[in-house]
Amino acid sequence: MLNPAIEAHLLDVQKPSRYTGGEIGQIVKDKSDIAVRFAFCFPDIYDVGMSHLGMKILYSLINERENYWCERVFAPWPDMEEIMRQEHILLYALESGDEIRNFDFIGFTLQYEMSYTNILNMLDLAGVPVLQKDRGEQIFPLVVGGGPCACNPEPIADFFDLFILGEGEEVNLELMDLYHKMHQEHASRSEFLKAAAQIEGIYVPSLYETAYHPDGTVKSITPLEHAPEKITKRVITDMNQVYYPEQVVIPFIEPIHDRVSVEVLRGCIRGCRFCQAGFLYRPFREKSAETVCRQGVALCENSGYDELSLSSLSTSDHSQIEQILDKLLEYTEQEHVNLSLPSLRIDNFSKSVLDKVTTIRKSGLTFAPEAGTQRLRDVINKNVTEEEVMRTCKIAFEGGYTTVKLYFMMGLPTETDEDIIGIADLAQKVVNLFYDMPDRAKGKLQVSISTATFVPKPFTPFEFEPQTEKAEILRKQQILKKAIKSKKIKASMHISDVSQMEAVLARGDRRICSVIYDAWKSGCKLDSWEEFFDASRWYAAFEKNHLDPSFYANRTRSYEELMPWDHIDYLVSKKFLIWENQKAHAAQTTPPCREYCAGCGANQCLGRPCF
Amino acid sequence: MKDYRIIFEKKGISKYISHLDLNRCMIRAIRRSGLPAWYTEGFHPHLYLMFPLALSLGTESICEVMDFRLTEELPPEEILEKLNSALPDGLHAVSVGEPHMQATDITAAEYLVKLSAPEIPDLKSVLENFLNQPEILIQKKTKKGLKEIDIKPMLTIKNIDMQEQNLFLTAILPAGNDGNLNINVLTDAFQNYADKPIFIKSACRTKIFSENYQDFF
Repeated sequence: MLNPAIEAHLLDVQKPSRYTGGEIGQIVKDKSDIAVRFAFCFPDIYDVGMSHLGMKILYSLINERENYWCERVFAPWPDMEEIMRQEHILLYALESGDEIRNFDFIGFTLQYEMSYTNILNMLDLAGVPVLQKDRGEQIFPLVVGGGPCACNPEPIADFFDLFILGEGEEVNLELMDLYHKMHQEHASRSEFLKAAAQIEGIYVPSLYETAYHPDGTVKSITPLEHAPEKITKRVITDMNQVYYPEQVVIPFIEPIHDRVSVEVLRGCIRGCRFCQAGFLYRPFREKSAETVCRQGVALCENSGYDELSLSSLSTSDHSQIEQILDKLLEYTEQEHVNLSLPSLRIDNFSKSVLDKVTTIRKSGLTFAPEAGTQRLRDVINKNVTEEEVMRTCKIAFEGGYTTVKLYFMMGLPTETDEDIIGIADLAQKVVNLFYDMPDRAKGKLQVSISTATFVPKPFTPFEFEPQTEKAEILRKQQILKKAIKSKKIKASMHISDVSQMEAVLARGDRRICSVIYDAWKSGCKLDSWEEFFDASRWYAAFEKNHLDPSFYANRTRSYEELMPWDHIDYLVSKKFLIWENQKAHAAQTTPPCREYCAGCGANQCLGRPCF
Repeated sequence: MKDYRIIFEKKGISKYISHLDLNRCMIRAIRRSGLPAWYTEGFHPHLYLMFPLALSLGTESICEVMDFRLTEELPPEEILEKLNSALPDGLHAVSVGEPHMQATDITAAEYLVKLSAPEIPDLKSVLENFLNQPEILIQKKTKKGLKEIDIKPMLTIKNIDMQEQNLFLTAILPAGNDGNLNINVLTDAFQNYADKPIFIKSACRTKIFSENYQDFF
């Protein structure tokens, strides 16, 4: 139900249907039947949040329970925020139009670090105290967070009542059940939090005390009130049994990804050492071809979408990918559905897979070699050879593609100038390959290279590594620019202070909370939007708190150092991360999990080898 | 293969769906409905769908037109039932039939606007004075910058009626290929004319005409 106060201003804002609700697929319930209300908040605007698969899964999962109601909440664009603040309209949930401050749970999904200020801003817009300690003893609303960035929740610990670690399909309902029971028993907030801390996968930051060494590193993290020493993430062991929605909310406006998605697998067998997702989502688990096809068809039928994406960290690593494509294509071709595989890998990108995808749609190809030389690719364990890059491009060119995008990182551990020049060389070889082909496709060739600054992340073998400083990145960019000779190569090199801030927020400790708070107070929000990010405000917030961003971003951490997230267990052992780090420095690769188990430890939750 | 023309309402929150988004929304609704839609042939087949006259965001309508094609002939009731079961709140198909006219035949559209102005005691005469001006000038954005045009010759006022606190204005404005006037342009001009705030409570397109005020179908 749309609040008339909001409706009065909807024609004054861009894309008003961001704020109306009422989409096909939304779930509306009778409030009088509801025991627990959950506001699922995506800390960015509607267009971004409505593309997010995890939210779709958990929204439907909670709503499967008759007496629980989950609704959607997004950050307003500044035009709408201004009106809300002027007219004293509090942040509301789209389905009911009700203010979320009266909900039982306000849950944020933590997808990227640069969304943190949006969380504070949304709580403030909702009329909920931003700091956990100011929320009093009333049990609701409980501010909870989950998603990949919950693996190091310390920089945002002061704003949350609790974090949900790992996959939410089981633990979210366990948590809501406990709440339902304790709410009826009139428990207080702190009583509930103490009890919730006993659920596996629930981390209650207020029950832990952090002490620091004089040099600023973490000395100890001590649990209070019988909270567990280690909090272990939750894992779904059977991907064929786990809940998956067959209907989703269909936005009126066009979101970033305007399609339905079937998750085909979780985890990744590749072990790229820079990739946080590749470690966080272990162990590797697949859905059967049958499950993938059934869910894909159901989603298309129920939504009317004409694009279906097979989503995962590396879809072509599914052991039955050919069967899945064969079976799905029977349906999609007949029903005019485009099948998209957003995460093809360069090395197992076979001609037959390409043929199958191109029968549906031709668009540019995107590859991520990540590093310019074989040595550096070995360091980061991106197990891709130059021959494979060339072979794939050749297949692509033969298939009629004329645009190739190559993604690289700059500032990787052990990187030298030679590695930077290697980026230009590799792009040049792709150009040469095209013009050496007698039967090349008509049309103009364009090879785009894009470089991003490497950000070391927790729970990766590079969590110990320093981030390269801005001046050095700028120098390397100049080297790359000079090394590019062909006009067919277009290089886009982003430099921004965002990368350093991301590195700080990713590996920060609890003292960073006050930096985020002050940055938000001084006006930081929508930091992942270039037009809003303001580095000077962030630096001022660091100064105000007598903290140095380079202590967090640009310092080498020893293997012995206690990391701010070391009380949190994502199943991949620290010993393994250290070992992988040592191998990286020796430029030794680790084969994909399917070939050889490297012993990361993630399979302990399965009680068997992954393969 | 059979061409159909649907007349549908766009009311309530569906008035916030932009024209482009409406196109995507309808494609999905038709796909969900299970109707045997016809797809274009060629390299990128797509569902054939056409809106002869766009409606601006924020304006409601009881007479929107959408053309599409089915691969087979079906009873009108079945088409309406299937489509309506798939449409979101506010969008509702009211009739379906074979198209008789071309999109280029559209000449005008009728609108009903509901206005209120608590600070203006005699809103009706203010509106009448506004409409009786020798010319009604508005600023129009063009590629070369702002251009002043007189919209008065384009207006046909059918009715002005005060009911309690609300003023109802029925106006016919040019629409279609040979000139189009958005109802918001008229209401904006009126809001600028008055020295006290005027609220547009709703604006609704009530008819689409072809030549000589024949109903377009």
